[in-house]
Amino acid sequence: MGALSLKDLHIHYDRQPVVQDFSLDIGDGEMVALLGPSGAGKTTILKVVAGLLAPARGEVIIDGQVVNDRPPEKRDAVMVFQKPLLFPFMNVNQNIAFGLKMRGDDAARRSRAVERILALTRLAGLGPRKVHELSGGQQQRVALARALVLEPAILLMDEPLSNLDANLRQEMRELILTVQSELNITTLFVTHDQAEALMMSQRVALLLEGRLRQVGSPRDLFHRPADPEVARFFGGGNFFRGRLHEGHFECDFGRLPVTAADGNGHLRTATIRPEDIQLATAPVDLPDSFAGTVVRTRFEGMATRAWIRCPFGELVVLTAESALAPGQSVRLRLPPDKIRVFSEASSSE
Amino acid sequence: MARPDAGIDARTRRGPGPTHLALMLLPALVVVVMLFGGGLLLGVLQALGHLPGAGLERLSGMHFGRVLTDPDFIQSFGLTLYVAAVSTLLAAGLSVVAALALNRMAARWRLVHFVFQIPLTVPHLVIAVAVIFMLSPAGLLARLAVAAGLIETASEFPLLVNDRWAIGIILTYVWKEIPFITLMLLAVLQNAGGELIDVGRTLKADAWQRFRHITLPTIFPALGAASLIVFAYTFGAFEVPFLLGRTYPMTLPVWAYKHYSDIDLMARPEGIATGIVIAAVVAMAVVTAQALTRRARKRGIVL
Ligand SMILES: Nc1ncnc2c1ncn2[C@@H]1O[C@H](COP(=O)(O)OP(=O)(O)O)[C@@H](O)[C@H]1O
Ligand SMILES: [Mg+2]
Repeated sequence: MGALSLKDLHIHYDRQPVVQDFSLDIGDGEMVALLGPSGAGKTTILKVVAGLLAPARGEVIIDGQVVNDRPPEKRDAVMVFQKPLLFPFMNVNQNIAFGLKMRGDDAARRSRAVERILALTRLAGLGPRKVHELSGGQQQRVALARALVLEPAILLMDEPLSNLDANLRQEMRELILTVQSELNITTLFVTHDQAEALMMSQRVALLLEGRLRQVGSPRDLFHRPADPEVARFFGGGNFFRGRLHEGHFECDFGRLPVTAADGNGHLRTATIRPEDIQLATAPVDLPDSFAGTVVRTRFEGMATRAWIRCPFGELVVLTAESALAPGQSVRLRLPPDKIRVFSEASSSE
Repeated sequence: MARPDAGIDARTRRGPGPTHLALMLLPALVVVVMLFGGGLLLGVLQALGHLPGAGLERLSGMHFGRVLTDPDFIQSFGLTLYVAAVSTLLAAGLSVVAALALNRMAARWRLVHFVFQIPLTVPHLVIAVAVIFMLSPAGLLARLAVAAGLIETASEFPLLVNDRWAIGIILTYVWKEIPFITLMLLAVLQNAGGELIDVGRTLKADAWQRFRHITLPTIFPALGAASLIVFAYTFGAFEVPFLLGRTYPMTLPVWAYKHYSDIDLMARPEGIATGIVIAAVVAMAVVTAQALTRRARKRGIVL
């Protein structure tokens, strides 16, 4: 049980501002992903929530109580770090029981709780193992179990899967989702992987260079990015300028009906995701289309990425058409409902 | 600690096989065996009574027996054990405190680290002389105490050198060995300490619990190994007790030296027998230290 509220956090390292104006509310039992590239300040924020670092300004509120003055051991939040950081001089059982022991639970209670969490994290039978006898994935699961067993109000996870290989990572994601919903622990999950953020959480908070850029559902951030930088972080490209006029976006590509109603007469930036552009190799296939020439292509497995020169500039297209060759003529169409017009006139692009 | 290394390890372990390796090491091994083993063998032979120049040619355990049953030897052994154990324990305890304090400071202030290394380079002999200069009844502290009116004459100053409790010897060792143990502990703390402490904090361990359940087990192998090395050194060292000790009882190394250099050649085998007893104790301490280090490495602790 726990709600987490971060109010206007400013965090410095040696007077150097690292995080600024950071506010975020997480509801009881909610799983929020804090997403951002390496160095954005994600770990720093988690440490402030855990109490390992003091903010220069702002408040950390757990269940309605400001906890800024409480040391980590007095906060009802537990952090899982990027590395497992298991205690090498303890076995798996002892590692998991550590927090319970510190809290003063008796041995019988500890072993009951440990057994339950071992089963939940699919570690049953590994209890007596030494830490160095575990695989990387098992170690990270022990680290998770060690945090979960305390049933904290807030669970903080700092890229817990980034050191695992792809298959194991997918398995662990499922595990974390299952466990989180079973125990209903309020969770702030840090990752630099946008796909992971989208699939793991109910809401995503995007952090760029120490500033919160957008909070919303995974669909919101993916399909309705607040600005070109957010769009770019989610793999967007194809930015172009135009003017809003009576429900239409007038640009080089034509007069496109859009839903962005406000800002009539204003210059705006718009974008369309590479996979939303329709491409055809024969002109008859596509109405409302324009011509382009393939500049180069890159095969990416499920799709091919193609850079196409058009009369008004270059567009990047992600298409199932895998037989494209440089120099080839193609037809492109921009479906109006896939065009996203940013609300602020943006200077970039 | 990370397990992924294991795979790499297995693949890169394609170096020379054990026999090949032994062959490559042979020249070095020969030198080591000749120098140390040869010396030891000669020593053992002498201790067993083989000293042709003095007309002693029959081998026997007589000298060992005589040494081991000599009440003076028992006294010396006790004193040596006492000096080595007390200085090691004191140095170890103070080093833990120093290492924890320095670990906080050294992150910000590299100079501390450097200053702490200086005593490592000072020979024991120099410190022993300094201790005499400071602590003897005619020393600096006694005079300062008189000047300050704490005592009336220097003879009232407590006996700290050549004294019954070997205080001067122990002080010398403690002063000299603290930096050694502390720097060993610091290396471990700076490698692994901080992150595990953070983990402990978020897992609700208070300051004492973090020390007891995280810091102490983390530094224990290094502390044990360093302490055993210090113990081995202080057990076998000669110059400090020679300068600062009493004439009776003597520590074993002094006893061994006195016997070996006695004009009575008959005492010589006993000196060497004593030396071999010292060597055995030292060897045991070193082997135990090695075992501790190996165990720590297996758990991924860097020493
Ligand atoms: N202990 C520290 N001292 C000074 N600067 C730091 C420290 N830790 C992190 N930083 C800086 O703060 C910024 C954010 O770091 P961090 O929170 O670790 O980013 P992330 O977890 O998003 O990769 C980075 O620019 C990093 O260099
Ligand atoms: Mg980080």
